[in-house]
Amino acid sequence: MARDVLWMFLKCFGNAAIVLLVAPLCHGVMRRITARIQSRQGPPLLQPYMDLLKLLGKEDIESGESPVMQRLAAYLAMSSALVVACLVPMGVASPMSRAADVIVLIYLLALCGICTLFAGLAAGSTYSLIGISREMMTMIALEPLLVIALVIGAIHMRSFQLDRVLGGSVYAIGGVPWSGLIILVVMIFAFQAFVQRVPFDTAEAETEIMEGPLMEYSGPKLALFKYAQMCRLVIHCALFVSLFVPFGSTLPFPFGWLVFWMKIFVLILAVTLVAATHARYRIDQAIRYFAAMMVVAFGALVLASFGM
Amino acid sequence: MIARERLNQFREKFGDAIERADLTGETRVFIFVRPSALKPICQHVSQELGARYVISIGADDRPYSGKFLIAHDFAFDRVDLLCSVLAYVPPQNPTVESISGVVPAANWAEREIMDMVGIKMLGHPYPKRLVVPDGWPDGVYPLRKDFAWNQAPQGFDDEREFKFDDPPEGCVVVPFGPFHPTLDEPAHFRLYVEGEMVRGCEYRGFMVHRGIEKLAESVLSYNDIPVMAERICGICGCVHSVTYAQAVESATGLEVPPRAQYIRTIMLEIERLHSHLLWVGLAGHVLGFDTLFMQAFRIRERIMWMAEKITGNRKTYGLCVVGGVRRDITPELKDELVDVLDTLQTEWRAVVGAVLKDRNIQKRTSGVGIADAALVKQAGLIGPMARAAGVEIDCRRDHPYAAYNKIEFEVVTERGGDVWSRLLVRAKEVFQSIRIIRQCLEKMERGPIEEKIADLLPVGRIGLSSVEAPRGECHHFIITGENNRPRRWRVRAPTYQNLQGVPMMIKDQSLSDMTIALASIDPCFSCTDRLETIDLISGVKRVWSPGIENLIGCKKG
Repeated sequence: MARDVLWMFLKCFGNAAIVLLVAPLCHGVMRRITARIQSRQGPPLLQPYMDLLKLLGKEDIESGESPVMQRLAAYLAMSSALVVACLVPMGVASPMSRAADVIVLIYLLALCGICTLFAGLAAGSTYSLIGISREMMTMIALEPLLVIALVIGAIHMRSFQLDRVLGGSVYAIGGVPWSGLIILVVMIFAFQAFVQRVPFDTAEAETEIMEGPLMEYSGPKLALFKYAQMCRLVIHCALFVSLFVPFGSTLPFPFGWLVFWMKIFVLILAVTLVAATHARYRIDQAIRYFAAMMVVAFGALVLASFGM
Repeated sequence: MIARERLNQFREKFGDAIERADLTGETRVFIFVRPSALKPICQHVSQELGARYVISIGADDRPYSGKFLIAHDFAFDRVDLLCSVLAYVPPQNPTVESISGVVPAANWAEREIMDMVGIKMLGHPYPKRLVVPDGWPDGVYPLRKDFAWNQAPQGFDDEREFKFDDPPEGCVVVPFGPFHPTLDEPAHFRLYVEGEMVRGCEYRGFMVHRGIEKLAESVLSYNDIPVMAERICGICGCVHSVTYAQAVESATGLEVPPRAQYIRTIMLEIERLHSHLLWVGLAGHVLGFDTLFMQAFRIRERIMWMAEKITGNRKTYGLCVVGGVRRDITPELKDELVDVLDTLQTEWRAVVGAVLKDRNIQKRTSGVGIADAALVKQAGLIGPMARAAGVEIDCRRDHPYAAYNKIEFEVVTERGGDVWSRLLVRAKEVFQSIRIIRQCLEKMERGPIEEKIADLLPVGRIGLSSVEAPRGECHHFIITGENNRPRRWRVRAPTYQNLQGVPMMIKDQSLSDMTIALASIDPCFSCTDRLETIDLISGVKRVWSPGIENLIGCKKG
């Protein structure tokens, strides 16, 4: 028993460590590819690591309306991201599948959004308040999509257990898994919003509201927030892969693991391409878009409950 | 003889209210009227004759005629006529009736006269401080001749705050600027926002006013000013130097050699090319579409290099002087320019093709920041703003200058009046500019490029000049003077009028659209404020700046 627990901790640690290690690299890849699309050379692949180090080494300035909340929001952002990382399979089975189920996962993902809310409230400026109002609107419209996807998986598996749901569960019925395919399409169209990239980066929108909730952040706290955002990109990709593209993940250790990370890489590539070729949507346009997605997703949920 | 016709009409209608009239050539008419007749005549010109309001000018003429001078400039676009309605105002307690009630576009110009020259505008609908800084003492007027160019006013109050209007009920104040990532220059919009909707705004600008007109009137000489004028704007400097030079030439009857006319035309169009490309890029950036921004700037870069090869500089060309230009275009440069234009045309066609097909950009720009033909008329909007609303005005065709009367080109118009239409207008004008430059290069004949000025320029004459800048009509008004410098030089940059339309354009629109709506007028605050970007390192600063800084009361560092 004690050995199991130790083993679980080690695996959790491994998951968090690999997300922390890979996330800036993914960001570097994104920046490089974006640069190439824009006829630029782009920064070195390792630039995000340097940027984070630089920010971490800067003076820790207390600013905004309530500096304590601002600090807590940064810590919370990072820690919630890392906890989620422990719940999601990262090339190997989820290490904490016995300790939590998908409901916990959903709440923890929501917590990531709540951090932005705290950050914006702590700054207290008009622009950050606009930013959080946009963030909340997006969250309310977006989170249900993920919930529906997970619930469809859970219905098919008749279980909320993490390792059972996060293994391509959406297709796990006999015949053509209509509900799974529909929710797959919905998630593909909504994925850009989950990772908060253009055209759905309305909550930060530098050229409109000056990074909104993040505007008062600087130095180490900004590093934490940025790092957490990079991690969330990887985590969302991993979630997507686990739910919708499980193929090949069951191969023996090095191969299955490699295939998993290849898929993540492809997904990041796609995100980058979309981000570099689109203009930002206005918040009302974005919400209308999400609403349409939601209607379709509900349809998929109904199908799933009828076993289709 | 449209000028003569108009004058006769005025005489008939207003009789002895018209004291004097000058016809200088076929395209300029100056009507001196009694101060009391200013308002009815301006109303007649604007509303019944349908002339476009250009600008109002106040001048301290006391050392010469013992009175103040006020002028309202109008343009008859269809018939190539610039008309100035002038009046001498008594020196004691100078007041005149405001025309803003009947010509709303004159709002800012009249407030500026109140601030700078101290002529009271009776019945002005919104007589609030516009140009001078918050702490500037009341009753001190920097453009009066008894106010020295390097004088610091007594009683400048650093603590005094500008009093903004109260926001409408239920609205939150969102400050937009003076510093904002999409504002390249300082300007302050106080937005009244309800939820995400903008319900109104108040503008406070002129933060970088450095008294460039005052300098010209008191320190510089005729051929120093073109170089100074060029520094009024960060993008369309050449426009200002050409407009100034043409104003002086038109006042004094100087003839510019044909080759110089062509070279001016070419450089003005090169400037339009790089300005429009810059704008499309920035619009992309504002919309979060950085790929468009980067590609537009990449394509633009070769034009900048070309400008540098022709004039020695990427931007401040130092090309235009009164009487001609300073540098010729050699055959080698001509070949290279042709090559650059070919590349530009191909690449720009690709970009425009991609943008036209982009539904995403259309969604963000269609129906946003609408300025329809009525608003264009009311606020006196010009350039791509007017053309995007279907109002076909373009100084290059309507008031031909330089070599434009020998060139064929189309005036691009759209119907929508929104940001998307402005994008289309600018994108298409690039092709017209390429066409114009090609024709110029073909038709340009050999010959001198500068008319040497042998004698002193005549004194007390008035010159008007309008040039179609990338952002719209740029208008300069000049009164020639003694000591080899003008008595009065008034610059009306296109943004000065276009900015006055912004509050109406952003009303009842989403806050997210504010940035692109503002960007769509391609605002140039330095033009509007007439800032001087004096190089801090060069010695030039030591000559003028200490005085100027005290003059406008800005602190260093």
